[in-house]
Amino acid sequence: MKHIMHILMLSCLKATELIEKKIHVKLSFKERLQLRMHTMMCEKCARYQKQSAFLEKTIENLSTKHSHSANIDELKLKITKKIENLNEK
Amino acid sequence: MENKNISKWVNDFTTELYDWAYFKTSSAVTAEDLVQDTFLVAAEKIDSFNGDSSAKTWLFSILNHKIIDFYRKKSSNPITLENDNVFNFFDIDEGWKDEKAPKEWHEEDMNLLDNDDFNVVLQKCLDALPEKWSTCVKLKYLSEKGAEDICQELGITTTNFWQIVHRAKLQLRNCIENNWFNN
Repeated sequence: MKHIMHILMLSCLKATELIEKKIHVKLSFKERLQLRMHTMMCEKCARYQKQSAFLEKTIENLSTKHSHSANIDELKLKITKKIENLNEK
Repeated sequence: MENKNISKWVNDFTTELYDWAYFKTSSAVTAEDLVQDTFLVAAEKIDSFNGDSSAKTWLFSILNHKIIDFYRKKSSNPITLENDNVFNFFDIDEGWKDEKAPKEWHEEDMNLLDNDDFNVVLQKCLDALPEKWSTCVKLKYLSEKGAEDICQELGITTTNFWQIVHRAKLQLRNCIENNWFNN
């Protein structure tokens, strides 16, 4: 049964690869169809797809969060002063 | 001493250096310290800057050394990843192994985005990935360049890129499940 499923609509390994690829590029018609059929039948990969999309949101959130919270101008002043002190020594 | 150069560099590159340091360390305080140290080293070693590379490249290489040092010193409670082989996750028929198959996540909702404890676990799981993997996973949110362009800069082919992202996500998902949802 598992073998027939894999031939018709991908193995779980291939399905999860397509799930990741889909986040970055548009899949071909065949790939979309295969993936759709697989996730309709496979509860584990359907769950993976949902969790993978969720993880993308959390990573995006982490990468953008507070990334400009520091006061860059203050930091520049601080660094400039330190360098002046360094040169006076 | 070419103080004028350094002052100009502080003005021109602090923002970019800070953003990079912040992205790599996820700490505003650490990022500020690392950028400051970078310029102090640059000021001391200005004579060894020969102009073969651009000032920006030179400063980034100093910063990257500082970031590596930072991680070497920091060793608190690391989460280690299991072997990166996909067959940790899938059996020989390429179906999920029972013990590695995705389980239901009960609190999966957007409230987690603002949960500091969750973000600490996420950061640790990202840090536990091999460097190039986590960069590939994160960089599409950081850079204006396409993920593929940057991976090529990192010496990774496009085909490899999909494999790396796939493996990284498998590891990451598993790490989050073990360290957050099953805890």
